[in-house]
Amino acid sequence: MPELDRRDFLKLVGVSAGTAATACADPVEKLVPYVIQPESVTPGLASYYASTCTECSASCGMVVKTREGRPIKLDGNPKNPINRESLCARGQASLGRTYHPDRIPGPLASAGDNTQQAITWEEGMTRLTGSLKKASGRTYILGGPVGPSLSGVLDNLAAASGGKRIVYEPFSHDALLSATEAVFGIRTLPLFDPEKADLIIDMGSDFLATGLSPCENSRQFADARDVRTHPDGGTRMISISPRLNSTTQSSDEWIAAGTGSQGAIAFALAKAVYDKYGAPAGVDEETVEAFLNGPSLSEAASVADIDPGQLQKVAKALLAAEAPLVMPPGVAGTDSSAASTATAVMLINLMTGAVGRSVQIPPASAGTPVATQSDLEALVKEMKAGRVDVLLVHDSNPVYSMPPALGFQDALSQVGTVVSFASMKDETSEAAALVLPNHGNMEVWGDVAPRPGVRSLIQPTIRPLMDTQALGDTLLEATRALGGTAPEGSFFKVVQDNWSDVDWAEAVGNGGVYTDVEIPVPAAQADFSGLAYSAPDMAGSGEFKLLAFPHSMLGDGTGAALPWLQEIPETVTKLEWNSWVELSFATAEKFGVDFGDVVEIETPAGKFDVSVFPRGGIRDDTIAIPTGQGHTVGFYASMEGEGERPSWFQVESPAGTKGVPRGVNVMSILSATPDEKGGRTWLNSMASVKKTGRFRRLALAQWTDNQRERRLAQAVTLAKANGHDDGHHGDGHGGGHHDGPPHTFEAKYDADPKVPYRWGMAIDNDRCDGCNACVAACYIENNIPVVGEAQAINHREMSWLRVERYIGEGHVGGGADRRPIPRLEELGKLDIRYVAMPCQQCGAAPCEAVCPTLATYHNKEGLNGMIYNRCAGTRYCANNCSYKVRRFNYFDYGQENFPGMLGMMLNPDVTVRQQGVMEKCSFCVQRIEHGRQLAKDEDRPIADGEVNVACAAACPTNSITFGNLRDDTSQVVKEADQPNRSYHLLQELNLRSSITYLAKVNREDPEGVA
Amino acid sequence: MTPPPAMADAMSPLSRPRDSRANIDIMAPTKGAPWPYLLALGLAILGVVQGFLVLAYQAYVGLGVAGYQQPIFWGVYIITFVFWIGIGHAGTLISAILFLFRAKWRNAVNRLAEALTVFAVLTAGLFPVLHLGRLWKVYFLFPYPNQRALWVNFKSPLLWDVFAISTYASISIVFFYIGLIPDIAMARDRATGGKKIVYTILALGWQGTGPQWKAHSRSVLHLSGLATPLVLSVHSVVSWDFAMSIVPGWHATIFAPYFVAGAVFGGFAMVLNVLIPVRRIFRLERYLTDYHFENMSRFILFTSIICGYAYGVEYFIAWYSNVEFEQSSFWLRAFGPYWLSTWAMIVFNCVFPQLLWFKKLRTNLPFLFALCFFINLGMWFERYVIIITSLSREFITGSWGLYIISPVEIAVIVGSFCWFSMWFLLFLKAFPVIAIAEVKELIIHAKDHGGAH
Repeated sequence: MPELDRRDFLKLVGVSAGTAATACADPVEKLVPYVIQPESVTPGLASYYASTCTECSASCGMVVKTREGRPIKLDGNPKNPINRESLCARGQASLGRTYHPDRIPGPLASAGDNTQQAITWEEGMTRLTGSLKKASGRTYILGGPVGPSLSGVLDNLAAASGGKRIVYEPFSHDALLSATEAVFGIRTLPLFDPEKADLIIDMGSDFLATGLSPCENSRQFADARDVRTHPDGGTRMISISPRLNSTTQSSDEWIAAGTGSQGAIAFALAKAVYDKYGAPAGVDEETVEAFLNGPSLSEAASVADIDPGQLQKVAKALLAAEAPLVMPPGVAGTDSSAASTATAVMLINLMTGAVGRSVQIPPASAGTPVATQSDLEALVKEMKAGRVDVLLVHDSNPVYSMPPALGFQDALSQVGTVVSFASMKDETSEAAALVLPNHGNMEVWGDVAPRPGVRSLIQPTIRPLMDTQALGDTLLEATRALGGTAPEGSFFKVVQDNWSDVDWAEAVGNGGVYTDVEIPVPAAQADFSGLAYSAPDMAGSGEFKLLAFPHSMLGDGTGAALPWLQEIPETVTKLEWNSWVELSFATAEKFGVDFGDVVEIETPAGKFDVSVFPRGGIRDDTIAIPTGQGHTVGFYASMEGEGERPSWFQVESPAGTKGVPRGVNVMSILSATPDEKGGRTWLNSMASVKKTGRFRRLALAQWTDNQRERRLAQAVTLAKANGHDDGHHGDGHGGGHHDGPPHTFEAKYDADPKVPYRWGMAIDNDRCDGCNACVAACYIENNIPVVGEAQAINHREMSWLRVERYIGEGHVGGGADRRPIPRLEELGKLDIRYVAMPCQQCGAAPCEAVCPTLATYHNKEGLNGMIYNRCAGTRYCANNCSYKVRRFNYFDYGQENFPGMLGMMLNPDVTVRQQGVMEKCSFCVQRIEHGRQLAKDEDRPIADGEVNVACAAACPTNSITFGNLRDDTSQVVKEADQPNRSYHLLQELNLRSSITYLAKVNREDPEGVA
Repeated sequence: MTPPPAMADAMSPLSRPRDSRANIDIMAPTKGAPWPYLLALGLAILGVVQGFLVLAYQAYVGLGVAGYQQPIFWGVYIITFVFWIGIGHAGTLISAILFLFRAKWRNAVNRLAEALTVFAVLTAGLFPVLHLGRLWKVYFLFPYPNQRALWVNFKSPLLWDVFAISTYASISIVFFYIGLIPDIAMARDRATGGKKIVYTILALGWQGTGPQWKAHSRSVLHLSGLATPLVLSVHSVVSWDFAMSIVPGWHATIFAPYFVAGAVFGGFAMVLNVLIPVRRIFRLERYLTDYHFENMSRFILFTSIICGYAYGVEYFIAWYSNVEFEQSSFWLRAFGPYWLSTWAMIVFNCVFPQLLWFKKLRTNLPFLFALCFFINLGMWFERYVIIITSLSREFITGSWGLYIISPVEIAVIVGSFCWFSMWFLLFLKAFPVIAIAEVKELIIHAKDHGGAH
């Protein structure tokens, strides 16, 4: 803080006067009206623009909410058939990229000695075209997958410069592409629809969290299992995975097969399926039999180190199911035989008829295909040989995400000129000789064609904040300067021209064009050359298999820059802000390490130190490290922005320094072993573990998964959910009506009798898969500050809504450790229960009674209001809140934790809280008030569904329903009226919570699925 | 109870006429300021200054520099607040209740005890302010008339606290001052220069006339009547900060009597902790005798047993309730992360004082001093245990936490002890530490009755 500003001065005066005689220390902020008001903007009213999310390849549609010209919130686009109204946490958080402290202010050129200096665009373009001209065809364009328009422009430049395009994606799904190519002759990513299956066998795809289209698949999966529409419990899922991951948690059965055994299991199952169904049409039997020459079920079981009976059971269920679907291994399971494994899985789906039903094989997308690792190897070879003069990098960060074993990072110095088009600084842009920054993701035009029937548009919603230029325009300009053929006009014109076949205005309004397209089932053209069962090739002689799994929030590392994704607890482990290595309890004990102890992980490709997270949900022979961390560049991605706060507990904090990585990059110790078809692999190394004796505390949001039989997260059997007493009194958990305290109150009465509203919520724990989209939405809607790792370690997260994770009923006992850790996971056992915990807006709220200043009070519509201005900060309310949903501003987070332009994304309808006041979930009262204004204008009550809270709107599985409890026809009342599994949290305290939870349903053993 | 014969000659005239030995002995400490005194006072003031500077830092930066974390929103500030409020209770008990019960032995110790009360309340009163998130908004807690018609919440125990503490502070100060008037007048008669002016003003024209004495004893009697319920009510109200809440470990009907007994217990220990060095340093052995210490020891033993009973009842009810929240809370209290504090509390407050069954120990001053030190520690830990352990292991197991005291909090707590010491040291030099008039009364009483009482 360079100067004493007015606010701090007043604070000091307040302090030195000892008490409060100096009156008000609140900041005075001025509202400055428009001098000339733009026609399209009404101050106070939001404008909405349809656009498309570019965080992952699912390409969900979104609606950008802007206020006074600034995008402030992203929601799903209901018209887009992929994600409809929901948007995942990563999508929600991507808004922050526009205002990010890492934004590159303008063109930069390297000035020697590892620094970069600002240059003008003219100079930048001159340098770019100059070096492209000199390169005489030795130019490579390396970048992530982009939409058709930009792709065309890139192709133009490639042609003009005589260079070559390489489309590079860290999570490239090479194996799956190879599989569709092998079976159908089409190199394309299949579309999965879990809703159309009655049995899913998940081979470690993690499709609910990090798969090909998590938002969509989560919704389909939840719909397929909704017990109201499917009294039989709907789709069952068996997961085969060495580690309990987000998707495994939602399964009905978990088979903790050995790491790297998915190939053996896939082949064994494929053979069993073949024996029943025979060869698929168009493929001769010899080809299939020759290919399926793999282990038998019992051999596979021994490879997988599981009971053969278990695998027999899976095979039996698979053969018995009417509409089975086998999900191929995801990124974490790609080993040296990944292409064969995926092919075997694809063959199963073909033989069982899943292809065409729950698996669609779209035609290969036009344009440059995604490069395999072999293509990248070829590039690196060229670079090393000095045959690359210019390397243009766009929409990717290869310096971070390529495995060093490939040698890309070292070879970079052999390249004549590296040009980066990044809009936010990253490892690659730091290494570039020339940086010509692209606009931010909310500032550009673009388009995407994610699948047949869906063409979406990306449209700008704010004027560029920095001295940047759209990548498309830069490329067009360069192409013209090189004398190449380039379309007329700006890149916007290019996009518009590409969309000339449709009504442009309508397409922009809807965010794209959506048509119902029947994707034909392609004829099988089996070509299994080069594919056969083989045991995976694991490099090194370490004791453990190293499982590098995609982090559910950070993905391949692109999410690491976004503070929300860092701070929102990871779905399964509830860890924040750093890397960890998962060891089984037995392994941890063997090494004498516990939570937070630093161990050295070594593979043939390298080694690093990382803190231990011991857990029950991982095999003893495996250690697991999430992807995504270990960035050395970035305000949030590295340690640069960390540690501005005093913290007395932090053990080891190389904070606030540039270049210090946050956590470790697991890619840096992976080998570059390709699969049979040259695809990138992630499961390729054995690792050894060594205790270092050091300790580095990890931020663990939830310390115990033991609910001590307190019935916080209840579960019922399927029979019970359907209203039949299942006769298991001993474990017939849940259903407040029966064996809990009686359901004695109606939440709707806890409001002024004269008003027509009492707001309430229903949360279906059976649909919830713990994905955290609601949490991200809440953060952004309600201006909730992110506190950083040091504060998160001190349990000072400000989240108004958290998703708690419990396992089973728990047991009374334990909890005596100073800092307990989750201990109830068991290999092969599942009973994971999530409870989303917003403020319960109690009818008899304990917080209200104890506030001496009436800063928190019961409003007429039953909400527990919070008047920040009246709060003196006694914190009594937070002590007395039984649900622990109140959050305290320990520091001036509102002022200081939105550095740089991040403050521009604050929601103007929500107060930014001051230091020293309490805050909590308000049921998005600003949205209720907005709805009330609209209704009032038309002199009618607020209609059901007109007002929705941010969490409910974002939820991919529609677990959360919000509405008026006094309207008997409202969705929330209907949803809550499931007496067999509804309950209120801590009902015995009689706090009269307005939230009805619906207990999770534990479906019986999937063996019985016919 | 036998008044000590040693006191008998305290009234005997010395060579200097018109002054008694008691006057000289008891006023002696107010004369001069030797270097150890100045050093102690200097250190205390230094401590206060650093405390306020650290507090300013805390208020400026935010409460994040204290050890709070979800879900533990109250920490050592509230603990120390309750501790100091408790300390004050011995003074009120001695000056009011024992006065009403005509326990004459109190006369020798009541001045000191009352002074402790006043300073303890002055110290305690700081904490509810300095623990606020926005301490510059402390006036929000008072029901002052304002244009915006903002009012306070009379349902909140914290508001009751505001009234309890302010009432307590005002009554204690008035009581203390009324008792001081005859002694101030005596000091006035002996003082010269600037001191004389101050004493003259403070003495309110006291001449020692019959009507004045009559009015004086009347007011003391009435004030005693007023103060007596306060002994019970103030700490009851403080205990309701906890008992009125819904937190397992706080929500208990026994809290009011339990806290009052604890307060008297801790208060007596603090009185002894102060009295024993004062007696030694200022050579007041003649006035503060075994007789006083034995009586105080009995009181400590008695209240210790009540405390022990209360601890037992808490555990019994937690078990008997068959409510898992309560049971877990208490189980983890004794065997959870804070087991050390809990066992320190039990051993210091319930086990150690049992030694006072032995008469030898009741009059062994070094032993008493050490014991009382541990009792004070134990009483601090009692509040620590109640507040921290209960909050750290509440209903929602997924929101469990751990509180660790921060250096900032330690600095402020040290500052508060220095604040208390500073006032006490100033008091030692300004006023007689023993109520001379009342001691004389006791001596005359002893003489008249020949000690056979």
